[in-house]
Amino acid sequence: MPPIQLYRHRAALALAGATVLLTSCTPGDGVGLDANGRPPGESGGGQPPVVSEANAFRTIQDTIFTPICSVCHAGASAPLGLRLDSANAYAAIVNVPSVQVSSLRRINPGDPTNSYLLQKVEGRAAVGSRMPLGGGALPQASIDLLRNWIAAGAKPPAASLVAPDGLEVTSTIPANGEVSVSMVNEVTVVFSEPVDVALALAANQVQLLAERTGERIALQSITLQEGNDSVLKVRPAAALPPGSYELRLNGSGAARLAGVSGRMLKRDFSAAFLVTVGGAQ
Amino acid sequence: MSPLILSRLVPSLALIAALFMAPSARAEPYLAVQSGLKCAQCHVNPTGGGLRTPFGNLWAQTQLAARKLGSNKDPWTGQVGQVLSIGGNVRANYSSIQVPHQQSSNAFELQEARLYLDMALIQNRLSVYLDERMGPGNADELEANIRLWLKPGSLYIKAGQFYLPFGWRLEDDNAYVRQLSGISMQTPDRGVEIGMDRGQWSLQLAVTNGAAGGPEVDDGKQVTARLEFVPGAWRVGISAMHNNVPETVGDRTGVGAFGGYHWRQFSLLGEIDLFKDKGLGASGRDLMASFAEANWRMRQGHNLKLTYEWYEPDRDVSEDEQARTSLVYEWSPMEYLQARFGFRYFHGIPQNDFQNRRELFLQLHGFF
Repeated sequence: MPPIQLYRHRAALALAGATVLLTSCTPGDGVGLDANGRPPGESGGGQPPVVSEANAFRTIQDTIFTPICSVCHAGASAPLGLRLDSANAYAAIVNVPSVQVSSLRRINPGDPTNSYLLQKVEGRAAVGSRMPLGGGALPQASIDLLRNWIAAGAKPPAASLVAPDGLEVTSTIPANGEVSVSMVNEVTVVFSEPVDVALALAANQVQLLAERTGERIALQSITLQEGNDSVLKVRPAAALPPGSYELRLNGSGAARLAGVSGRMLKRDFSAAFLVTVGGAQ
Repeated sequence: MSPLILSRLVPSLALIAALFMAPSARAEPYLAVQSGLKCAQCHVNPTGGGLRTPFGNLWAQTQLAARKLGSNKDPWTGQVGQVLSIGGNVRANYSSIQVPHQQSSNAFELQEARLYLDMALIQNRLSVYLDERMGPGNADELEANIRLWLKPGSLYIKAGQFYLPFGWRLEDDNAYVRQLSGISMQTPDRGVEIGMDRGQWSLQLAVTNGAAGGPEVDDGKQVTARLEFVPGAWRVGISAMHNNVPETVGDRTGVGAFGGYHWRQFSLLGEIDLFKDKGLGASGRDLMASFAEANWRMRQGHNLKLTYEWYEPDRDVSEDEQARTSLVYEWSPMEYLQARFGFRYFHGIPQNDFQNRRELFLQLHGFF
């Protein structure tokens, strides 16, 4: 047999074998797993939506983001950088500008109509296909859950589910390590529970520093986000000029940041970010 | 017949006649496998997809379609003058989706309307390429890049925004292997790609932001590579990628192997990908997806496609695997038009309704 034909037959056999192998893998029976396919206790289990302000986001995570969206939107290569796995979803969507329509935020707390993520699942977004892509529309109950959560201020997961032993920073905008390509005139800090703003206003509790020189940036205000006491807005006196910055929150000593529940920030917190577009030097 | 008409008709007919004897080629990888040709034969983009070459356009009109209704005079090649080439796709869908314990949904949808444009500023050397999604909704660019052939036909460098080279470039962006890699025709990235086509070998290496179309938010970059060997009736290839991101996000690394074989009207395609994503869960997860496709090209213009896919979302957790089986009939009744009728059966863990949905779809696909 000529060599080329021999290779061809071997290739056919190899391909046939590989095909049999690929098709012999079968779906799991789900025994011992919750509705999200995870071991019990690891995720919320995908329970049916329960309209409760305290667990609204957790319910959204467990019944929409984790089982449906995070099949694609997870990990370092998540489409458009939108990570909807449980560890990242809240920080990736609340008050974060949409990539496709930068004038809209993915979730604009208190404003469902102008929340791009909701527009995408409702099929009324200005760009691209309805989400989930190729999966059909979400049930109306799920869309309503999302809409109601946004209308109520898009509050983060209840503290008891996140940080049973102390206040934690869930995320910041800009995030630690982020290279911001848009003007930064405020830094957002999302805590695991409502934070005591009086403590935040005390000296040295919240500092914004120019990383290279260590110079402290003058702040105009430190306020809670309207309708969401877990989100702190730190506004510099002017839009930050291009450069490296560090946000520091005091989590040590007797006088440190704490939630309204009295639970203290567990440790010092720091987030460094780079601004490439900004105000005058 | 005037000499002018004759002078235009003869080359066209000669080209069509040549194409009838040429092996077939098409955007979908199964026909590349059937033909034994590389992607670059039918697509301007050397890694496949998007704007078709004159060969690809003429083949689609004469070999893909069951019959040709239009005139054979001046067939559409995509070329408008010597510099500009244009093309497009419109996919209109009707789909019905049944999720257990939920009311079924059905809808007519515009899946996509795309316009392609290639400006060959210096023939066989320098091109500017655009792939613009015109709908649904507002327009946005998917690919926008400059391609410089360092050695015409064999070595190029591409810079800008483009689809990454990894595994089979499937039409179905929801295939598990495409979802797992995060690399599809919905998620272009920005960076630089170097490609080489030499004999039976093709190699692409891309360095990109690793942001899947989003803005760059860190210093890390993604490296993606694809190597393919195409001796003829069969082909094999390997792919690899590493997305280097800050520790707080977690690196993502993947490797894959793919292959294809054809025998008479039948073609088989397969792919298997393994990924490690340190950003998932407390300590990262190992994931895996596979894809097997059989095509039966019953006769010209008619193809039956059976696909089986398997997805393992966490190799440390047993009994969480998912599968998807699709049966799709593709009918190309005439040039520039294709109808696709299909059924997809999703099979996951019984306690998750969404993983056990059924989908019935009808698609009309117009292209030029």
